[in-house]
Amino acid sequence: MKPYGIHFGVGVVVLAAISILMSAWLHGAAKRVEESKAAKEGEVAVASASDVQYCSPALKTILRRVLTSCGLVKGGGSRGCQPVEAKNVAAMSGDDFNALFAPMSERAALIQYEVDKAELDEAAKALVDKTFSDQKGASYFLVVSRASPEGSVEHNRALSEARANAVLDHLKTTFNDPDLEQEVGLLWLGKEFAQLDEQFCQWKRSHAEQQCDVNQLNRSAFVAWIDCRL
Amino acid sequence: MTRPKNALFLVLMAVFASGGILFSGISSYDFIVHLDRQVHAITCSFIPGAGSLDTTGTSGCYAALMSPYSSIMRTTVWGGIPIALMSMSVFAYLLFRALDVLLGKKRSDPHESLFLVAASFLPVFMSVIYFLIAVYLVGAVCKLCMGIYIASAGVFVFAILSCWKAFRAQKGGEEQAAGAAKTSVPWSRFAVYFAEGLVFVAVPVLLYLALKPAYTEEMSRCGDLAHGEDKYGVRVRLAGSASGVPAVEVLDPLCPACKGFKERLEASGLVERLDLQGVLFPLDKQCNWMVSESLHPGACAVSEAVLCAGDRAPDVLTWSLEHNEELRELGALDAKAPPTKKGPPEYARVYARVLQEFPSLGDCVNKPAVRSRINKSLRWIVSNSLPVLTPQLYVGGRKLCDEDTDLGLEFSLSRLLETRMSMALPGATAGIPAGPAGGRP
Repeated sequence: MKPYGIHFGVGVVVLAAISILMSAWLHGAAKRVEESKAAKEGEVAVASASDVQYCSPALKTILRRVLTSCGLVKGGGSRGCQPVEAKNVAAMSGDDFNALFAPMSERAALIQYEVDKAELDEAAKALVDKTFSDQKGASYFLVVSRASPEGSVEHNRALSEARANAVLDHLKTTFNDPDLEQEVGLLWLGKEFAQLDEQFCQWKRSHAEQQCDVNQLNRSAFVAWIDCRL
Repeated sequence: MTRPKNALFLVLMAVFASGGILFSGISSYDFIVHLDRQVHAITCSFIPGAGSLDTTGTSGCYAALMSPYSSIMRTTVWGGIPIALMSMSVFAYLLFRALDVLLGKKRSDPHESLFLVAASFLPVFMSVIYFLIAVYLVGAVCKLCMGIYIASAGVFVFAILSCWKAFRAQKGGEEQAAGAAKTSVPWSRFAVYFAEGLVFVAVPVLLYLALKPAYTEEMSRCGDLAHGEDKYGVRVRLAGSASGVPAVEVLDPLCPACKGFKERLEASGLVERLDLQGVLFPLDKQCNWMVSESLHPGACAVSEAVLCAGDRAPDVLTWSLEHNEELRELGALDAKAPPTKKGPPEYARVYARVLQEFPSLGDCVNKPAVRSRINKSLRWIVSNSLPVLTPQLYVGGRKLCDEDTDLGLEFSLSRLLETRMSMALPGATAGIPAGPAGGRP
């Protein structure tokens, strides 16, 4: 073969080889682009509030009634509900009402008060802060305050309300949270509904160093994030 | 004229040129395969096909591939034109030249070999430049690139040896035929060869531009921020200028991909056109209920440090990204510790390491206030229904597609910036109203 023929032949073969190879790679990439367009979306999880295992449909139904009545769910009434209202919306006994919160033992705390007082001491503030800051994906923060059986029904209701509001006021001043109004629900109970029994002595308490008795246990506000989406 | 004994050198030159084609070809393949905008394992071995594929993106080859130096014209073409493709073309040309001299019986002409030396100088020169870039700018040396450097050196050395032999043979021949006229340099022939070289580079490049997957407008739509305002005051200022287009990066301080993205964004030069703020999204189950397993253990603790740092947040973030592997290992050790009476194990080692570096944050980290702010960051993410992954970049409220955060970053981001800037001012800031930034718990 003449030198020009070799020159031309070798040049064309080498250039064609790399061009064909590259074209095949590009064709593959273009094909995959078309396939990916047709592929379904949604392979990546989307961020959402938590909805844990104990949030059964039955529990959600009851919670929705309670929370709507207590002003947590949009469209509900004003914040805070009276014991009688709570009893009505929950339509259950005090024991059953307390049982609702049993699965939340890890997330809940009992903020304890002195007799006939509604002020938070330092230990109470620290426990409120710790519990509230551990929101995780929960949507609602319940404050269920109580009063021990001493005193009149009216006095206990007023005291219970003051205790719930003390927690809310503390949250407002400590945490600059624009969603506070939508996520914190107050429920104040007198002595006639859902008193805590001794099993709650095992829960986190602000006066954990003191001996636990039922009267002391009910001079309290139960606080907990509820990990349910409603 | 004596017949030169340079055939072996030409054969060896052709062998090294073939090696260069092989290494450049694999590198080009790794680049081209990413034009589908997906994530792929890449080849990274001195012996192509012998080593395991890099599936994690931790190799030097991956760093080199994803660096802005792997291609040119990245703002006008998605991904740019790969350097490896041009390297493959040059080696193909050198193979052609070596075979042409060898088979075309041009070995006796020393000028043919001289042109080979001149032509093979280009890959050597580029190899030196790219080696320096790899060491000083990319911070990683890629095995495939080393193969290309060695092939370049081999081609150059054997071209010189071939040339030397050819000139020696010519000199011997001239001594035998004393008085013969000295041959002058054939510049016109060299010009033709040079033009052929240009064709060897131009044809593959033009084919590449013609056949590469098209980037359509539809492909750039990956969602918008529904509630971009910073009502919780959880953003931290990261980079850019206040006059830039408002942008939010959703990131995890211990995420290797976030580190890579930060480096690519900085290298792109486009960060200066952004007013970049960050929202922390630690993929760590200690504080993030959206992950069942901690992808980056310790990220919650480090995120607290970033929020606590206020104006120094970028410093803490840069440090944590640089040390992400070490911190994740510490976090994994902490996570194995038994639960305490107060609750699940704390990230004691991670906190200690962070405070060793930033002692002034001791009054802030691991406290309810900053934990609440982390939670607000996560709630901001929930309120915008963002995907559970990092990093994510939103420019003027519009998401830069995840597929465009590596090779296509310069192209896609510059287009997104132009779109946002060309829109009316209120639209340009849609979804990102001004809000508190910097952050103090």
